[in-house]
Amino acid sequence: MADRTPIVHSSTVPGGVTQLRSASSQASLVESARKGAIYERSLQRKRGEVSESVMALVICEAVQYLQKQAKGIADLEDRLNRLGYHMGQRVLELITLREGKSAKRETKVLGILQFIHTMVWRTLFGRPADALERSTEDTNQYMIIDNDPLITRFISVPKDMAQLNCAAFAAGIIEAVLDASLFTAKVTAHTMGTPQTPDKTVYLVQFESLR
Amino acid sequence: MSKVRSVGEEVWKHKTDKINSELLTLTYGSIVAQLVADFDHDYAKVNKQLDKMGYNIGLRLIEELLAKTGLPRCQNFRDTAEAVAKVGFKMFMNITPTISNWSVDSKQFSLVFTENPLAEFVELPDKPNARDLWYSNIYAGVIRGALEMVQLQVEAEFVSDAVQDPSLPTEIRVRLVKVLEDEIPPGED
Amino acid sequence: MSYYLALLSRQDKPIYELKFGSSRQGGDGQPHFDKAMDDLTPFVVHAALDVVDDVQWTTPAMYLKTVDNFYSYMISAFVTAGNIRFMLVHETKNEESIRQFFLDVYDLYVKTLMSPFYRVTDKIQSPAFDTKVRALARKYL
Repeated sequence: MADRTPIVHSSTVPGGVTQLRSASSQASLVESARKGAIYERSLQRKRGEVSESVMALVICEAVQYLQKQAKGIADLEDRLNRLGYHMGQRVLELITLREGKSAKRETKVLGILQFIHTMVWRTLFGRPADALERSTEDTNQYMIIDNDPLITRFISVPKDMAQLNCAAFAAGIIEAVLDASLFTAKVTAHTMGTPQTPDKTVYLVQFESLR
Repeated sequence: MSKVRSVGEEVWKHKTDKINSELLTLTYGSIVAQLVADFDHDYAKVNKQLDKMGYNIGLRLIEELLAKTGLPRCQNFRDTAEAVAKVGFKMFMNITPTISNWSVDSKQFSLVFTENPLAEFVELPDKPNARDLWYSNIYAGVIRGALEMVQLQVEAEFVSDAVQDPSLPTEIRVRLVKVLEDEIPPGED
Repeated sequence: MSYYLALLSRQDKPIYELKFGSSRQGGDGQPHFDKAMDDLTPFVVHAALDVVDDVQWTTPAMYLKTVDNFYSYMISAFVTAGNIRFMLVHETKNEESIRQFFLDVYDLYVKTLMSPFYRVTDKIQSPAFDTKVRALARKYL
């Protein structure tokens, strides 16, 4: 992606608009009204849909923004991971809350991995992940496999950053869900494309030790 | 004008790949929270960064809109407003803001949102100047970027936001600065 | 009848605390812990956390019911999926009401968490949250 700098900046503020704003920002009454609106809205209702393009472009912009601060590709992937991490904690509790009477915690490693593979993926990406596997070499290592990850599908990585894997974002979501569930792990994303599934991504879940 | 609305609905129904809006809500929330941390609660800078991101996104979305709708060039700014609200917001966000408060010279209008998928779960930071943050300012940039690609230089900015105060509407003011006639559209070689 | 509610982060730091009294059977809603107990409640809760640390792995339930006792007091616990612990010190056995109280507090907690600006280790300082929790206390306890 080329660095696209805005060509035209809006510099002046229309007078009418400024007036409208100051008229509305009166007093503490407003302040107290704003506080707490989130508690009045139900979390039970699942929201609707938006265009995939918007999501793609928002992620692209996030990558571009983070790239300016990042010291290299590994650091950029770390920053993308943190962006996802922020969401993971929220998604975990939101899904659990919505399970209502049948809500439960996952107390087994396989349980939480299946929860991620199925519930988290379905909630965020509209379908379960494609596979969940345990490494044959390292029993503390699991793999969540997505043959066509939404995040990488529409992002064209610039040539000078061919190594960048934007799925680090989803890796961060997984890592946060595991951490919050007290199954601390390091999660990394690896593209393992095949001719049929060129974007196939393996999320490698490396546990420190399993309880 | 009902034709414009049906174009937006048609594209949304049949030509748009869709995702769960909560993925966008949460991702956008992560990004804004990161910006607020990076700019250390300097909300003017956060607003500007969101506007810049939106501008870049707008440059791309308008291409998709034109390709999918085949909409003819708008004859006047009132048509443009209709296209932004009933085609643009409809086909990308599945919402249709209301157009209101036209200025006498027909160069300024407001988009008023009764729902906003970006801001579903937001409570502003507990800071005295938090009201300076226009949480959904990316929209303003999108409008500015998209219209520039069709030769309309506009200013777009939030006037009020229900995230700041639920008793106020979420309102973006759009003002036509000038028509960039016969110029090479930006973003192209 | 007095109650002490504490929400604790994964690092065992209180993110929200409230002492209140029963509003039932003529209760005035105010806590009436005796002086000694009033000071001890946080320690009682922390002692009970050790029990929670064990019990929470023996069941997938979020509501662990009464996990510990201290003289005439009982300590009930609710553990969220993200391991935020809700602890309630109470004087009478009232499993069903406490379960409903915890579930509704959980709903309020998740609403707090969903805001992008709230961090999981932050104290919950929203007056609206406090007001809602107090209303739930009146409703159920």
